[in-house]
Amino acid sequence: MTFSDLLLQQTINGLSLGAMYALLALGFTLVYGILELINFAHFNVFMVGSFIGMWTLQLMGINGQAVVMTGLPLIGVMLVALFVTMLLSGGLGVVIERLSLRPLRNVKGPAAMITTIGVSYILFNIILLTVGADSKNYPNPLPPIQWALGDAVLRLREVLIWVISVLLMLGLHVFVQRSKMGKAMRATAQDPEAARMMGVEVDRVIIIAFFLGSALAGAGGLIFGLYYNFTSFIIGFTAGLRAFTAAVLGGIGNVPGAMLGGVIIGLVESMGGQFIATEWTDVIIFSILVLVLVFRPSGLMGRVAPNKS
Amino acid sequence: MAAMTDLFTRVPLARRQQILTLLVAVAAIAFPLIHDNDADVDSAANAAAYATLALGLNIVVGFAGLLDLGYAAFFAIGAYAYGILTSFQVMPHWGPFWQPFAWLELVQRVPNPGGDLVHFTVSFWIMLPVSALIAAGFGVLFGAPTLRLRGDYLAIVTLGFGEIVPIVVRNVDSVTNGAAGLNGVQAPRLLGHSFGIAAWPYYYVAIALVALLMFVSVRLRDSRIGRAWMAIREDETAAAAMGVDRTRTKLLAFAIGAAFAGATGTFYVAKLQTATPEMFGFPVSVMILVMVVFGGMGSVWGVVLGAVFLQLLQSWFLEDISGWIHDLGNLIHQPWMLRIDLTESIELIFGLILVFMMLYRRDGLIPATRKQSALSFEQQHAEVRRGGFTALAGLGEFAREGHTGLEVKGVTVRYGGLVALNAVDLTVPAGGVVAVIGPNGSGKSTLFNVITGLTENDGGVIRFDGKDLLGLPPHQILREGVARTFQNIRLFTNLSVLDNVLIGQHARLKTGPIAAVFRPPGTRREEVAARVWATEILGLFGNRLLPRATQTVGHLSYANRRRVEIARALASRPKILLLDEPTAGMNPAETMELAEQIKSLHALGLTILLIEHKLDVVTRLADKVVVLDHGEKIAEGTPDEVRKNEAVLEAYLGRGTLAKGTVDA
Repeated sequence: MTFSDLLLQQTINGLSLGAMYALLALGFTLVYGILELINFAHFNVFMVGSFIGMWTLQLMGINGQAVVMTGLPLIGVMLVALFVTMLLSGGLGVVIERLSLRPLRNVKGPAAMITTIGVSYILFNIILLTVGADSKNYPNPLPPIQWALGDAVLRLREVLIWVISVLLMLGLHVFVQRSKMGKAMRATAQDPEAARMMGVEVDRVIIIAFFLGSALAGAGGLIFGLYYNFTSFIIGFTAGLRAFTAAVLGGIGNVPGAMLGGVIIGLVESMGGQFIATEWTDVIIFSILVLVLVFRPSGLMGRVAPNKS
Repeated sequence: MAAMTDLFTRVPLARRQQILTLLVAVAAIAFPLIHDNDADVDSAANAAAYATLALGLNIVVGFAGLLDLGYAAFFAIGAYAYGILTSFQVMPHWGPFWQPFAWLELVQRVPNPGGDLVHFTVSFWIMLPVSALIAAGFGVLFGAPTLRLRGDYLAIVTLGFGEIVPIVVRNVDSVTNGAAGLNGVQAPRLLGHSFGIAAWPYYYVAIALVALLMFVSVRLRDSRIGRAWMAIREDETAAAAMGVDRTRTKLLAFAIGAAFAGATGTFYVAKLQTATPEMFGFPVSVMILVMVVFGGMGSVWGVVLGAVFLQLLQSWFLEDISGWIHDLGNLIHQPWMLRIDLTESIELIFGLILVFMMLYRRDGLIPATRKQSALSFEQQHAEVRRGGFTALAGLGEFAREGHTGLEVKGVTVRYGGLVALNAVDLTVPAGGVVAVIGPNGSGKSTLFNVITGLTENDGGVIRFDGKDLLGLPPHQILREGVARTFQNIRLFTNLSVLDNVLIGQHARLKTGPIAAVFRPPGTRREEVAARVWATEILGLFGNRLLPRATQTVGHLSYANRRRVEIARALASRPKILLLDEPTAGMNPAETMELAEQIKSLHALGLTILLIEHKLDVVTRLADKVVVLDHGEKIAEGTPDEVRKNEAVLEAYLGRGTLAKGTVDA
């Protein structure tokens, strides 16, 4: 494989990973923007979402890679799987917020963050204890269509991932920028107290943020399964940390920033794996996190510095 | 029973604590003697090792309020430091360079056909403190770039470091033997005898370590250092304004916490005689955090209890409880109950503990601060000594030390497009009282913030006593003799009145971490003097504060909290006192009482800059009044002059007042 083909191949891989990280990063950013809370539960909402997607596909009769679909049935199955996964994952996010975080809304200090770690641990272990520790073969009805670009290969699943991610992110962007609730969200992020006085139902805004963020994480989990053909109880931790790095890199609290950060982190992972060594990928990504926080805490696109006291 | 409780409560609290400590110590020492079961003693030794880890994390999370999610990294560093320096993993070639080390018994010469090799044989007892130092060094290294960040970012960065360390250990297998782990780590030796594989010697080392680190924790907590940590935990900005160097203080907590983990790592790996990267991953960091949260953040006895309980729960009780559930399942023919295995669910239990403790008992099993009873009716209604005071030993001396006053020249502050202060000039002569007035949003508090280094400026000069204040961090500005209060009271809410005032003296005291632990006579004297001084300062407010010295400030009335804030500022022995609306929220009687007291402070020689809305207070106190409006100085003069100034009337009563009758415009 020539160097340029290698570069092209890793760009394709990196963009696919990046799309997934971006979806996950948006959830961190939405919640952080409004509550200034790092939501560790998000790591494993993503993981649970991946399983929800798996079960949904299995309920529709798809097992492993044996069932191959094309045309309208494929689109229909994908839409149903995406819809159910996002709805249930979003619901999970809402339940987490209502049960464990709302009572701590006005408690100062690390209490809320510690709670999200606890919730994350609970989700992780529920899946581990019920589903088991072995990784699961992911149902995938996509036909093995692929296009050769020189020596590089572009597969149908990558195109599908890009289409789903771009549509979801565009949808979110339009929602945040154009809709009345989106405006309420932006207002709450600026100043919850003032927003409340202007008639914004802050509790509702927070619920919506958790729902949207968790739904996008669920979509990311589904994409993870379709991309790698497996899922497991452990996928939340690494993906979550990388996505969080993406959110910080783009500027936490900033929606387009999370998308940009996701793509960059995806590319760093694929290129780093190719040109440096896979076992050092996490070290490289954490170094980016630390460097960004130290030298440009507001991220690439953020405005507010996070080290206000 | 009642008689027992009566007897119990009649013993003073401090004595009760001593008796309890003694009983626990005797029980801990006697345990292996009366319970001759090697496996159980081994579990107890592990529990004690986790207790030392919890004590270390408690310094970071409980005392200083910094959430560290990668604490196990320091545990790993201590473990591998000892492991590498006693195993056969790293063996350089022998050369004359190593001979002196061989004489010190730090290395051995190992015959080898391809040239002799060096085998490290550093003693466990040397490595215990050395590992602590190495881990502390890494604590500073990891902490230095990240401690400037707000707390939640610190959590994620430490999580990152906590991941990186095991990855590095796994990847550099020439030094660490990678994922397979270090083997053949030496057991400790004492007086020529190896500890071998029996559990009891390790058990005694572990409980000695717990006792030592509890002692260190308590000594640090009750010192100038511990107060600074708690001040940062309660309110970082206020701590900085009261003279606490934030970065240094946080780094110190990070380093000491890491040192505890480093020493424990050495102990743990000496006990297991093996080390693998998996022993130090994220689950371990979370487990230690669960122990601290469960026992009570900031509570020394609490975190030890939490660690011991959770560790013994894992190794002793969960299996038993699972067995009971199975028995019950057999008895009532419920096959699903036979499948329950609680030992596998330990992490689920940890998650549930974290959530339930945060939701229902954030203070943990043994809260760090005990509940206080309110003052009795008599105490609350004791006659209030009103008015000012005329003398206080010491207060006048530092205040009258000659200085040339405060000079603010052309200071500008912008927030984006908004100009909060525009080229403001102001002088406060030594010994003067200047009041700053102006409508809300006119830039008064911004002026205070820029003088005390809390807000960055966009041009201008601020000098106090000839020294340039601009660009100095807040804690150094306090050191120069500039102390302030805040408009929206920023006290250390969960600390006592006395502790708040003691923190005010932080910059004037010298005790460092080592002196805090060993308490040499000089440190004892300093602490006693600090407490005497704090009490005298509290006495300035008659019996408003003195009877409440040990109460938590969060429980005080609004007016008393304002007084504590002034006392805290005074405790720092300032030359100039910046008071931001000191009488806000006070009733007329309290207002006049405080005005008298401020006047007395002035009479004692303090220079005062005051923001105040109540014009009778301003008239009574100030020699000079400066009026701000929309960030600009619009008038300056004596209270009487300012009162008649047209620009001032306009600023206060509105632009429309000159055209009376057109109100609806």
